[in-house]
Amino acid sequence: MRNIFIIFIMTTLSALAQTMHPTFPLLDANGDNVLHTGQPVSTMNTCGDCHDTEYISNHSYHSDVGFSQLTEPGETTSGRAWDMSPGLYGRWNPMVYRVLSPPGDEHVDLTTEGWIQIFGARHVGGGPASKDRITETVEMNCFLCHIKEPNNDARIAALRSSQFAWANTATLAGIGVVERAGPVFRYNPAAFDPDGHIKSVYLKPHDPSNDNCGQCHGLVHADRNTPLITSTCEPEYWMTETTGQIISPQRMSDSGLNLANKNDLSRSWDIHAERVLKCTDCHFSINNPIFYQESEKTRPSHLTFSPRRQTISDYLYRPSHQFARGTSSYKNLIPELQGSMRRCESCHDSKKTHDWLPYRARHMQAMTCESCHIPHMYAPARRVMDWTMITPDGEPRMECRGFDGEPKDIRTLITGYEPVLLPRQELDGSTRLSPFNMVTFWYWTCGEPKRPVRFADLQRAIVPTGDYHPDILAAFDADKDGALSRFEMSLDSDAKIEIITSRLRALGLDFLKIKGEIQPYGIHHNVTHGDWVTRDCESCHHRHSKLTRTFTLAEHPPKAELPKIVGDAAIQRSGSIFIEGGVLLFKENVRQAGLYILGHDSVLAVQIIGAASVLVVMLGIILHAGMRFLSAGKSRAERGAKKTVYMYAFYERFWHWLQAIAIIGLIFTGLIIHAPSVFGFISFPAAVIIHNVLAFILLVNAFLAVFYHFTSGEIRQFLPEPRGFFSQAVQQATYYLRGIFKGEKHPFEKNPEVKLNPLQKLTYLVILNILLPLQIITGVLIWGAQHVPDFLDEIGGLGVLVPIHSLVAWFFAAFLMMHIYLTTTGYTPLASIKAMIVGWEDIESHGAAEGHN
Amino acid sequence: MNFRNTWITLFILIVLVLLVPIIYFLPKENNNNDPWAYVPKRLPHTDHSSLMTETYESGQAVTKKCRECHEESAHQIMQSSHWTWESPPVQLVGRPEPVVLGKKNALNNFCIGIQSNWPACTACHAGYGWTDASYDFSIEENVDCLVCHDRSGQYVKIQGGLPAPDVDLLTAAKSVGEPTRENCGGCHFKGGGGNAVKHGDLDGSLYYPSERIDVHMGKHNFSCTDCHQSEQHQMKGRAISVSMDDENQVYCTDCHDAQLHDDERLNNHVASVACQTCHIPVAAVKEATKMHWDWSAAGQDLPEDPHEYLKIKGRFIYEKDITPDYFWYDGTAQHYIMGDKIDADKVTMINEPNGDIKNVSATIWPFKIHTAKQIYDTRYKYLLQPKTYGEGGYWTEFDWDQAIRLGSEATGLAYSGNYNFTSTAMFWPLTHMVSPTENALQCIDCHTKEGKARMNWEALGYEGDPMVVGGRKRIEL
Repeated sequence: MRNIFIIFIMTTLSALAQTMHPTFPLLDANGDNVLHTGQPVSTMNTCGDCHDTEYISNHSYHSDVGFSQLTEPGETTSGRAWDMSPGLYGRWNPMVYRVLSPPGDEHVDLTTEGWIQIFGARHVGGGPASKDRITETVEMNCFLCHIKEPNNDARIAALRSSQFAWANTATLAGIGVVERAGPVFRYNPAAFDPDGHIKSVYLKPHDPSNDNCGQCHGLVHADRNTPLITSTCEPEYWMTETTGQIISPQRMSDSGLNLANKNDLSRSWDIHAERVLKCTDCHFSINNPIFYQESEKTRPSHLTFSPRRQTISDYLYRPSHQFARGTSSYKNLIPELQGSMRRCESCHDSKKTHDWLPYRARHMQAMTCESCHIPHMYAPARRVMDWTMITPDGEPRMECRGFDGEPKDIRTLITGYEPVLLPRQELDGSTRLSPFNMVTFWYWTCGEPKRPVRFADLQRAIVPTGDYHPDILAAFDADKDGALSRFEMSLDSDAKIEIITSRLRALGLDFLKIKGEIQPYGIHHNVTHGDWVTRDCESCHHRHSKLTRTFTLAEHPPKAELPKIVGDAAIQRSGSIFIEGGVLLFKENVRQAGLYILGHDSVLAVQIIGAASVLVVMLGIILHAGMRFLSAGKSRAERGAKKTVYMYAFYERFWHWLQAIAIIGLIFTGLIIHAPSVFGFISFPAAVIIHNVLAFILLVNAFLAVFYHFTSGEIRQFLPEPRGFFSQAVQQATYYLRGIFKGEKHPFEKNPEVKLNPLQKLTYLVILNILLPLQIITGVLIWGAQHVPDFLDEIGGLGVLVPIHSLVAWFFAAFLMMHIYLTTTGYTPLASIKAMIVGWEDIESHGAAEGHN
Repeated sequence: MNFRNTWITLFILIVLVLLVPIIYFLPKENNNNDPWAYVPKRLPHTDHSSLMTETYESGQAVTKKCRECHEESAHQIMQSSHWTWESPPVQLVGRPEPVVLGKKNALNNFCIGIQSNWPACTACHAGYGWTDASYDFSIEENVDCLVCHDRSGQYVKIQGGLPAPDVDLLTAAKSVGEPTRENCGGCHFKGGGGNAVKHGDLDGSLYYPSERIDVHMGKHNFSCTDCHQSEQHQMKGRAISVSMDDENQVYCTDCHDAQLHDDERLNNHVASVACQTCHIPVAAVKEATKMHWDWSAAGQDLPEDPHEYLKIKGRFIYEKDITPDYFWYDGTAQHYIMGDKIDADKVTMINEPNGDIKNVSATIWPFKIHTAKQIYDTRYKYLLQPKTYGEGGYWTEFDWDQAIRLGSEATGLAYSGNYNFTSTAMFWPLTHMVSPTENALQCIDCHTKEGKARMNWEALGYEGDPMVVGGRKRIEL
């Protein structure tokens, strides 16, 4: 700090010392320096001087993309008759539409060469591009990921024009190393040192940055200050197109997008990008010794860390280019790598940060972290790509979600969308809710075996001259403006379908059918934290839960069979797809997904039986009380002499009232938990906590009371005497039904030795031996859901326990009403209640009958 | 029958058994300290319009009237640096004797110093009539109450700190109240001879700032004195341009918890990073501030522009939206004291902040650095203090030799007759113009390999980016 100017010099020096990679010559296919031969660069030879490039290209799904998994058409799990692999090479991608034709297919759409021309834009080379049925190969392109400014546009242009051998060289264009010169590329001698090595100022290989990955995978915007811009319905990047995921540390409020409530969006697009993580920190090379962790299955249990691993130099010689990954939306994509990635819980300790969340373990078991931590997608994403009808430019009818207004209009307000939570199939066989976008595709199939109608055939049928065929325009153009809007394009009538069908049939195509399919795309990036996360219990635990909100699949679906979820989508099929008001909707059914969500779900039968029991008791009480009131004149006359006795000891009164208030409190909070939309007096989490605390108090109180009754011998109060019990019960019942109205004496005197009449004994027998234990057991198990989730699942889960618990709660409520009513049948209506408060009760003396009955 | 009232005990017992565990288990509100607790709640100020009714001939006459009720106030002001323009003696490291320093005798790299230039500079003195070295600092009537308490908005001071002739003293006297932004800003926003010149974080945009410029004043409508609180007219606050100690300083933590971030990772930064570093991402948010002043270019007949060139002052560079420079800083600084020897080939630090990576009490702070080329004695090797203002001063005569001779007469600093210009730098810690939370720095502003990081970690003493190589605790303390 002595001299502030030193600082500037040091900045420059440290920038220079960033890479350790030595300089190297660029070699051609024969291993000769391209500076002398002028031939295309062979990455396999150039990088192969030091690294085992053959090993690398053989250990890279980025290169293989399903080539090694090729099967006969229709043998994959996707359910499509023309799919040949689970990867990019062989699995039809309706987003791009073009299809790799199996060898010997009648109507060829794409040969391998055609596939490279189109899909090469998102393929790193090698794999099928170097092996499958082609003459000129594309080697795996090291530069695309390992230099700072690869020229991907030039590479793609070279592929499009079938200059396969030059494609990797083209990646170096624009940084002074090589420039296009007519059909070939010419090297710049100034970029090479006297040894023929390329100077490090021109080319410094580095670890892949987010920008490198973003070229194919999604919109990456590493600069936090330059405003991020992307078009409304045409995001150019795969992950951004399918889901709206954007990898950027930039605050949304600083972006260049016309976002709704933008000023308040002070969160970054992606917290991990904000926290300086790179893609490769989670998606690391699986033999990278820095990241390598032995699986718990193979690691001896006495070790927490095994230091034996590859040395750095071994790794640099043979770095596996299989990258750790999570579970894919495509179930069978590279199964051996699924789940190899660090997931949230590998780095984050949810226990430390979720102490506020009741039933934390249960929540983590039922849903992925993303469910709450990606509550909203702020960028638009695809909703529909409908290839049953195309534009003159060859685009399908498209719908996007997440904005309000015309696509491509700068004034369009971008609202984003709330992802749909679907039960994702985890590797261990369980399912957890996780956020998805669902994109629906429609397309024509033809022939036997089925194939999608080739793009060229579509063009010939619909836009034969580069514009719509006049018949089509006449039938589709409802407003007669000479052009087809997105709505007019939809094949929503039989007439429209017939025209297209006949024009396709005219091309010799048969078995024409419109097929619809839905591809769920998982959302795992754009995670957020703090106040941006779903924390409000009632967003799920509510009748209008976000879990079962309808999710719009298409606003203008064509008139065809309802689309189905793609066969190899790694989700459990639950919920329903239906049309309402012309709009195609999806609605999740959490019960089908094996979840019972308190506050959202209920069992109708339980409600009916429970409510009926309460209603019957209420009616009974009203009837009985009314008749007592009417016959009130007689009763006092025949009443026996009053005497006051010490009926309830202090402890008896204490446990009774404690239990009474606990039960009322439990019923009350239980109602809130059960139906927060109806009884939301206190917040859902507070109700849960109070419910649990009261239940615990009730349990302890019940236990102590049992102990008291046994040790004091008071338990005899509850034990019916076997002899004559039945007739005594009938006697008591007869009294309630008849005698009480005539003012007769109670058949059995209530006194400190015998406080309960036979009917009461019977009732308590049932309550204390059946209902209370049942309620305690189901309650404890529901509470225990967070501790023994697997055991719970075995006995049926919350879906069984909760309905039982709420049915018994109804019964308790009914009992409570009856109980309170019957206390008024004492010497005076309030005598019994008063006795339970002060201990002393006025009772009617039965004279000789006093004492044991 | 004695137990008839046991039911009350029963009732209390049951309530306790139920409520205590429920209250214990219910989630607690976040009990972070309330930042508003520290902010003073002011009573309405007494309306003085019926109390101040006489015609006042001078500022002193107003002060005399004030003192009838506020007997102690003038005396209190006279203990404060607003009046003395100097500090009590402070023992600085490496100096044989305690040093007395203040605006009265300090050198800076703007207008250089006040000695011999009194009338112009003392327009901002909280007193009346300071025009030369012989000023008597013990006359209570000379305390200027109005400069801080006038609320009429028309009270303006001119040379020697006297009210301008057209000021209506009666109106001013009737209007008095708590100091407003205008009272403080009248001098502090104009340090260095004009709006926004000196600080980079104090300028006229703070009279009515938006939230983006200053969250405290723009969003929460703070006045200066909400943070710069005073007791007996001793204002809180220090600046290393003149202050040598770190006593009676204003801190963010006066109101805010140091560990208030939700994120532990951010809280861990607090040990090594000042709040200001992240929460003042840019300085001179709205108005450009002076970054460089080249006195050696003065005196030429060139086109004039107050932000680029003035014949009397030389050439300037102004910048707005500046990215601060970052240094370790423990709240104190090395001070250039008049007469200190310099190495004219190097940049002379006027007030280099104290602190380095090994100093536990130092944190990384944002600074505006103002550089200058200013005059020095080539033989005696120290900075000189020219007379610029007034008769014979450089601004009228454009004669450096004469200006220095006159200046040296005032300072008593010998002048050899040989002068030249040398580079100096002055450090301005940035602490005002705090941004809203949403605009605070993000990780990649400092921790990035791609693009330009704000911190130069090696220069700060780290082995590399502490995110990767570890913080200073891991290096050695």
